[in-house]
Amino acid sequence: MAKVIASRLARLVLTLLAVTFLTFSLTALLPGDPAVAVLGGDVQNEELLQQVRQDLGLDRPFLVRYADWLGDAARGDLGESYINRGQSVMGTIKDRVPVTAQLAIMAIIIAVILAVPIGVVGAYKQGRWPDSVSSAGVQVALSVPNFITGIFLIWLFAVQLQWLPASNWNRIGDGLVDNLKTAIMPATALAMTQMAIFSRLVRSDMIATLQENYILAARAKGLNDRFILLRHALRPSSLSLMTIIGINFGALLGGTVVIETLFAVPGLGFRLINAINQRDILVIQGITVFIATVYVVINTVVDLLYAVIDPRIRKG
Amino acid sequence: MKKRRLQRSFALIAAVGMFVAACGGDDDTAEEPAEEPAEEPAEEPAEEPADEPAEEPADEPAQAEGDVDTEVEEVDDTIEKTYGGSIAVGLEAEATGLRPWEDTCSSPCYNMMVTLYDKLVEQDVNGEYAPYLAESFTPNEDFTVWTVTLRPGVTFHNGVELTAQTIADMFPIQQEGATASGQIASANLAGVEATGDLEVTYTLSQSNSAFPAYLARAPLGMPFDPAAAAADLDGYTNNPIGTGPFMIESRDLDNETVVVRNPNYWYTDADGNQLPFLDSIAFRPIPDEGTRLDALLSGTVDAIQSLRQGTIRDARAARDGGDDIVLLEFQGNNVGGGMFNVLVAPFDDVRVRRGLIEMASQEQTIEALGGTGISLPGTQWFSPDSPWYSQAVADAWPTFDFEKGVATLSEYINDPARSDGKAAGEPIDVELSCPPDPTLIAAMQVAEQTWTASGLVNVTLTNFDQQTHIGIALGGDNGFVGTHQAHCWRWSGEDDPSIAINPFLAPPTAEVAEAAGLPGVVSPLNFPNWWSPESFEAAQAAIRTDDFEERKALYEQIMLTIAEEIPIWYSGHTATMIATKPNVQGINGWRVPSGELGIGFPAAEGRWAEVFLAG
Repeated sequence: MAKVIASRLARLVLTLLAVTFLTFSLTALLPGDPAVAVLGGDVQNEELLQQVRQDLGLDRPFLVRYADWLGDAARGDLGESYINRGQSVMGTIKDRVPVTAQLAIMAIIIAVILAVPIGVVGAYKQGRWPDSVSSAGVQVALSVPNFITGIFLIWLFAVQLQWLPASNWNRIGDGLVDNLKTAIMPATALAMTQMAIFSRLVRSDMIATLQENYILAARAKGLNDRFILLRHALRPSSLSLMTIIGINFGALLGGTVVIETLFAVPGLGFRLINAINQRDILVIQGITVFIATVYVVINTVVDLLYAVIDPRIRKG
Repeated sequence: MKKRRLQRSFALIAAVGMFVAACGGDDDTAEEPAEEPAEEPAEEPAEEPADEPAEEPADEPAQAEGDVDTEVEEVDDTIEKTYGGSIAVGLEAEATGLRPWEDTCSSPCYNMMVTLYDKLVEQDVNGEYAPYLAESFTPNEDFTVWTVTLRPGVTFHNGVELTAQTIADMFPIQQEGATASGQIASANLAGVEATGDLEVTYTLSQSNSAFPAYLARAPLGMPFDPAAAAADLDGYTNNPIGTGPFMIESRDLDNETVVVRNPNYWYTDADGNQLPFLDSIAFRPIPDEGTRLDALLSGTVDAIQSLRQGTIRDARAARDGGDDIVLLEFQGNNVGGGMFNVLVAPFDDVRVRRGLIEMASQEQTIEALGGTGISLPGTQWFSPDSPWYSQAVADAWPTFDFEKGVATLSEYINDPARSDGKAAGEPIDVELSCPPDPTLIAAMQVAEQTWTASGLVNVTLTNFDQQTHIGIALGGDNGFVGTHQAHCWRWSGEDDPSIAINPFLAPPTAEVAEAAGLPGVVSPLNFPNWWSPESFEAAQAAIRTDDFEERKALYEQIMLTIAEEIPIWYSGHTATMIATKPNVQGINGWRVPSGELGIGFPAAEGRWAEVFLAG
């Protein structure tokens, strides 16, 4: 087992190195000059531009900059924003992660709450109208991009019903209810695609589980259907759901970019978009590497858990 | 409503695409560029994709029509001005920072900045510069020395008194500031000296009759506490200290910046009311245009700003459909369009530039941009609402005439000595580039189809994010001449014309400057690289006099030369809007201390000191 863990961790480190190098390279390859962005395009003379480049360290060779950045990053220092001077990238990430993580967690919870009953009903009523209706609904949820869902939610709950604010974010510290009022719509918009994926998974797993002999035995014992579904069928069918939730959580962190921008939610995604607009390269790198790291770490943990659960993987 | 949803979907799809591209290391998205540079890349004035352009261009010249329907006017005196209350304002973007000397400040940023800082000078309803925090400003005979007398009894939010020495002490910080240093160079400002308790002397290295214009913008015109700034240059962005009507309470970047009433504010309104009226204002960046308008319609915010014609159109539709909102629209001098890099063949030949412009329908372009009925067609750097506007220039600007354009371009095409090295009769190659906004892409397609229909032009369309777009035209790596060909851009603004025009007309390269006997006078901001000695001299002459008619005649001469030489082109003027709930009063009708009405709400920049909640 130790060998497996060492192997996975080595792979994790190599992957992260590749991610940082690629991110650094790609942001360096972006056309345009961050120094121009700092000056807002108001470049009165070349000396001024050179001075800003020098101040930002952009006059040094690429590999030197990368090596310096990597060394600092290993110590938890991702540098300082070019545009918001004095603001550390790590500080920015720390400020934004709770918002994005809350959205992602709420999205997962909403998705699971909706997906499980839909999946269970679809499996239990397989081939009949409830299955057809839920499958069609799931297909729609899967097909509609989350920002379209977001626009619809704003129209319905903010403009028409005026139940919820259309935009921005109330911090939890300002009151949980106020916080949830601003979080529920973006989280729901994010949740819809996840819900569709989860419900399909639950449905197919449940269909397989319901064919098992122990289910037939439970039925033969006269147990009622609800008890069989929830007690005997759902639990074993949830394992793959748990796995996909773990993997999708990492993806959701990166997937909040559009929704956070639509709802003006001050999370990682919104900051990333602003950084891209402002050509704030260290912030782009920092957030991208952070999201990639979360994704890779979660995948590694899932890999290791598989190895713990299934000895065949350990041996393989 | 469905249509608007669909338009927003297109915009968001584009945003997703841009993000993906950015992650892929290709292009990235763009934000509204800074206001400070006089010339800017073309903004995306609307979100509506164009209708399919006609296969065959129309024969008849056509002019787009439209205008804003708001006047700068006094506050209705039957409405009682009341103290107290708070409002939330939706802005199109977050301010990158709140340090006047350092941070690039565009329209959303200015909405915040004017609550925290006062300007030394403001523009009145006629666009003229009037004292504000300054009590007076006086030039010497040749406009090389400006004496500014400050208003007495003004204090910063921290209680420190504003004196002439304050302004003098700001200067070293401004000289090091990213934005202020550029403005210092542009204004030829050589020194700032306290020549009395409240008297400041600005010394310029060259005459500049328009110097007060620099005191009306953030980098040089917004006093800050130099001691507090020097103590924490970076931290000042979150703890700004000005003399403005409001003080910073909290700054939650990308979410909400709250300012609260400055109880010691120096200014009273025309009725003697101590300003400001409101207890607090929360500024919230809401980048999505549709969400911002929805935030107003749903009551999430009390006011919004927009610089997009599409949003103005949607807000008008909402108002006309019964939504209780008030629109304050402003037709700006800022005009969309583009430029030709005249150092690159075939754009070095005026026949090519003229032919291409004659072939392109301005009306169809404005329609593609979503500005029909809102955005006035541009013919110069001044909108018809501006005192600098010239009918002679409007008449001289080439009108849409496809056949005439074909004939003009054919002259070049069939010229054996044509500059692009191709054989006579071969089509020219044109690379047209704009930022990747859906409406700009639609406008590009209008040009592409029209030019291609002539059979004389091979068109390549390219899109780069705004920062890259600027960089390509700036050409920091190739002596600031750029690598662009036909390039979308925006021109002009509400400032004194010299602010935009002078750097635009200065020699583009050291070689040109040497040849013109102007060694060292090189401007990276001459983006088309167009050199007209007569226009340059006219621009210089215009800042050696403060006689309006004389100056107007000089700018008319410059605009006429541009209409003749066509280094740039125009689509439509940029209409902007502040929309509010009906109880939010006072954005229209604020005054400068002399009692004259202020300029209003140009570029969707509100002045919030006199805003109150009615009823």
